[in-house]
Amino acid sequence: MNLSLWRLRAGDRCEILGYDDVLPENYRTRMMEFGFHPGEVVACVQSVAFGAPKVYRVSNTIFSLDEEVADHIHVRLVAADA
Amino acid sequence: MPKIILIGSPNSGKSLLFNRLTGLHHKVANFPGITVDVGTGKMRDLADTTLVDFPGTYSLQAISAEEKVAVEYFHKALQDPEVEQVLCLIDATRLEKSLYFTLQVIRDCERQQKPVTVLANMIDVLDHHGLSLDVEELSAALQTPVIGVSARTGKGTREILRQIEAVREAVPQPPRAHLLDAPDMLLRGSAHQLARRYGPKGDILVRTQTRLDSFFLHSVTGGFAFFAIMYLLFQSIFTWSAPAMDAVELGLGTLADLVVPLIGGQVAKDFTADALFGGIGAFLVFVPQIFVLTFVIGLLEDSGYMARAALICHKPLRLFGLTGKSFIPMLSGVACAIPGIYAARAIDSPRKRLLTYMAIPLMPCSARLPVYTLLIAAFIPSGTALGGLVGWQGLAMFCIYFFGMFCGLLVTGLISRTSKDHYTDLPFVLELPPYRVPGLGPLLRNAWNRSKHFVTKAGKIIFAVTMVIWVLGYFPNYGTDLGTSWLGYLGRIVEPLFAPLGLDWRYAVAILTSFLAREVFVGTLGTIFGIEAADENMTPLVQQIQASDLAIGSGLALLVFFAIALQCVSTVAILSKESGSGTLALKMFVGYLLLAYAAALAIYHLAALLT
Repeated sequence: MNLSLWRLRAGDRCEILGYDDVLPENYRTRMMEFGFHPGEVVACVQSVAFGAPKVYRVSNTIFSLDEEVADHIHVRLVAADA
Repeated sequence: MPKIILIGSPNSGKSLLFNRLTGLHHKVANFPGITVDVGTGKMRDLADTTLVDFPGTYSLQAISAEEKVAVEYFHKALQDPEVEQVLCLIDATRLEKSLYFTLQVIRDCERQQKPVTVLANMIDVLDHHGLSLDVEELSAALQTPVIGVSARTGKGTREILRQIEAVREAVPQPPRAHLLDAPDMLLRGSAHQLARRYGPKGDILVRTQTRLDSFFLHSVTGGFAFFAIMYLLFQSIFTWSAPAMDAVELGLGTLADLVVPLIGGQVAKDFTADALFGGIGAFLVFVPQIFVLTFVIGLLEDSGYMARAALICHKPLRLFGLTGKSFIPMLSGVACAIPGIYAARAIDSPRKRLLTYMAIPLMPCSARLPVYTLLIAAFIPSGTALGGLVGWQGLAMFCIYFFGMFCGLLVTGLISRTSKDHYTDLPFVLELPPYRVPGLGPLLRNAWNRSKHFVTKAGKIIFAVTMVIWVLGYFPNYGTDLGTSWLGYLGRIVEPLFAPLGLDWRYAVAILTSFLAREVFVGTLGTIFGIEAADENMTPLVQQIQASDLAIGSGLALLVFFAIALQCVSTVAILSKESGSGTLALKMFVGYLLLAYAAALAIYHLAALLT
């Protein structure tokens, strides 16, 4: 199922499919520099209450992204052991 | 003198390694912007070699105007013939994040024929978890020497020195053609592959971090932890620094008592006592507060908690155009705007840093407290309601405190909604660094450097303004009567401006002097009303003000004026230095002055209608 990175709940894992065109080029560049490449597996580590930015793990680094960015990253859910 | 550049991405331990290699103990703040800090120091074990510490950046492909300044500065440095080689620091535990930047550095150095050595930091963390990094394989893949180091323990320091010497003795090699024109996209792909191949396997490194995050970011436990930590931060500014502030005041007072009698001539004596000791003392008293706050904020940053606090506060502050990282500077501003402005350095987004600068002066700082106390005592009845549960004066104090905070958020909310450059800013992507035990030495040295910066940079402006106010208040009657001084004369000139608020020249003079520091308002009014030490015992002054038949509307107008106006020369000076723009500081000063006047006028007329 395809959805945005923001829709993930804590414990979900996904593969990045690509970026929304709404997200400006400079944002996309910076995200890829951080390791959010298409094809990369990202885990949602924590979904903080009250709509606060969510916590994601990519490779061995933990990042926090807010809706403004995460909602424009297209992903597909993958099995927990993928 | 030969120079060596030290460069690395944020949170890679660069400042710690810089301190270890130079022994200079200089910490460079990692914030992009027009005030890009570049630290330099002589290398401890290599005579006549300077190590240049560049601010951490994630990429050499700048995405904001301020990052561009840092990247251009790096490229310019590579053209400097004195720069002989570059040390590129990476985090061995998180290769994915560091290798793209490293490949960019290697390519750009190749273009300028500057040899690069890659330093893989935090090798001790890998050892601790039974992991390893094959530096020889990685070195072969990068075609660049790689040394495993630990900035924390000092492991690998000797190898770095040996490598620097080896590079010096080596015959320069022709540039590698395939690297010279490698596009960023190709480097990004290569970095990704290299990280997968050589990066630590498994999730052991992030497991501890995730466990602690599940406590510190939990809806309930995280909330409690946040309020407890912020309470401690607030205590540190208000309570812990108070004895040191008192000591500075007492020390300067004692010194003045010793020095002033030795000076001949009344003018010189008064100048030394009031302008020198009084004026300098008024800003030196902030030094302990800045020291303590910088220390505590450094503790939060280095431990890794600061990023978590920013995450927790981000959502509500975003509504007002701010970021989670704005919270601590604004909270600090409740004690004093100056440490708050310094704390705003941690905000990497230039736009949000600017908005935070705009909010901080509206936070109800402690200097406003004596003014509020005086005016509330003079104009608000001391009675209670709801069976003694609510005191009117306490309620008034509560309202005026929150009025300032509300104004700060209103201003930033309005400005952020009216400006159009939303997506030219940096995105809110926050790296949550691993939790670490901070080192006491670097924290103390950083606090010392920040305090020194305040004294040396802001001191000149504050001193100059103090002199002007003193001269205006002292002459031509040699300090015998403030009312007939040039300042009193000036008060009568500007009286028509304050007349619409129901205020006469005496209040105009007190407002003029309060631009030095808000609390001076109380002392000046005391002097004008002929009351000794009014700032220590306000009761006689309160009685005088009540007897002067000043309307309640004027009292409320004064309260609102003081809640908004930026009457603090130290804050304006620090704003100018930290933002790198004297124009911004001036615009904020004038803007808040006009806003304060308009709001005071509105309150005065509203009160007149209701009474």
